[in-house]
Amino acid sequence: MSTTEAVFSGWMEIPESAVQERARSHADQTRADEDILAALVSQYAATLYRVAFSVLRNTSDAEDAVQETFLRVLRRREMLGEVRDQRVWLIRIVWNIVLDRKRRAKTRPETDDVADLARVLPADGLSAEARAVAAQHHAHVLGCLEQLPAKEREVLMLSAFEELSGVEIASVLNITESSVRSRLFRARNLMAGLLNHARQ
Amino acid sequence: MSDSNLREMQKTGAGAEETLRLIARIAVPEGLEDRVHARLLAEPRQARILAWPGSSGWSIYSRVQPGMPGRPIVVSPHVGAGGAFSEAGVVRRPLTLQGPVVKHTAANEKPKLAAKSTTPPSASPSLIVSKKSAAALASAPAQ
Repeated sequence: MSTTEAVFSGWMEIPESAVQERARSHADQTRADEDILAALVSQYAATLYRVAFSVLRNTSDAEDAVQETFLRVLRRREMLGEVRDQRVWLIRIVWNIVLDRKRRAKTRPETDDVADLARVLPADGLSAEARAVAAQHHAHVLGCLEQLPAKEREVLMLSAFEELSGVEIASVLNITESSVRSRLFRARNLMAGLLNHARQ
Repeated sequence: MSDSNLREMQKTGAGAEETLRLIARIAVPEGLEDRVHARLLAEPRQARILAWPGSSGWSIYSRVQPGMPGRPIVVSPHVGAGGAFSEAGVVRRPLTLQGPVVKHTAANEKPKLAAKSTTPPSASPSLIVSKKSAAALASAPAQ
């Protein structure tokens, strides 16, 4: 056996089936990850959209944030098996995306919010005039909300999602549950003060 | 929410969280899931590095990329100056100055080569001198 043959003998001894088996198992894993991802889209796209809309208040921006969330998951799909609570994990991803986008986006005029809300929010049983008044009211509330400190505002916004418990809000914001409770208490007090002040 | 509910909500200021709850229950746009699925399918898959079984080598494994149309290369038509026809791809070679011409002086080189070859090394005057000086050094008494 020549030197070259000796060097490559290790390669020659690897059975072809082992390589194929390895590649096949990775392909199977990839397919499994993509199946999980597709299931996550079907199950949580709507929730993520609502969370995104609550911050961005724009339909196309919210949809874009949802797509960005799932793209990030696709790029890190190897982690899917390690995630304990996929719903909270996804909400945390979309939450960070929308907060980041909101920080970078220019402040839109309040009239845009009013128009968007009048178009999007449910107004069953309201006359056209009442619908316009309701949209004004919602825009005013959201204007007061923007005056809250970020920590209190974020807790208040997430608390509106009935499907999120205090523990889950704490997990999304990476704080303790008691912090969620205290921030929520402060947020409600501040909000009441702002609304009362505006009425006077 | 009825008109009376709305009036009540505005009076009491309790509508703050009601507004947020309305947003939290907002209708999702039609076809959102389909668009997300389509976007995910269009995303190119990254190659994965697999450990080579039983040795220190590595191999790259990657799926065939679906939905990756080839990019056409658009070449703008070349139009000659003054709206004339193009040159149909003819390569223009610029006129360049002629470089220096090397003159081969073969007649001058021959005698030198001949002189070197005809002179034996032993007949070199420098060698003779060195031999004489070597003999003189050898015969001289040591001091």
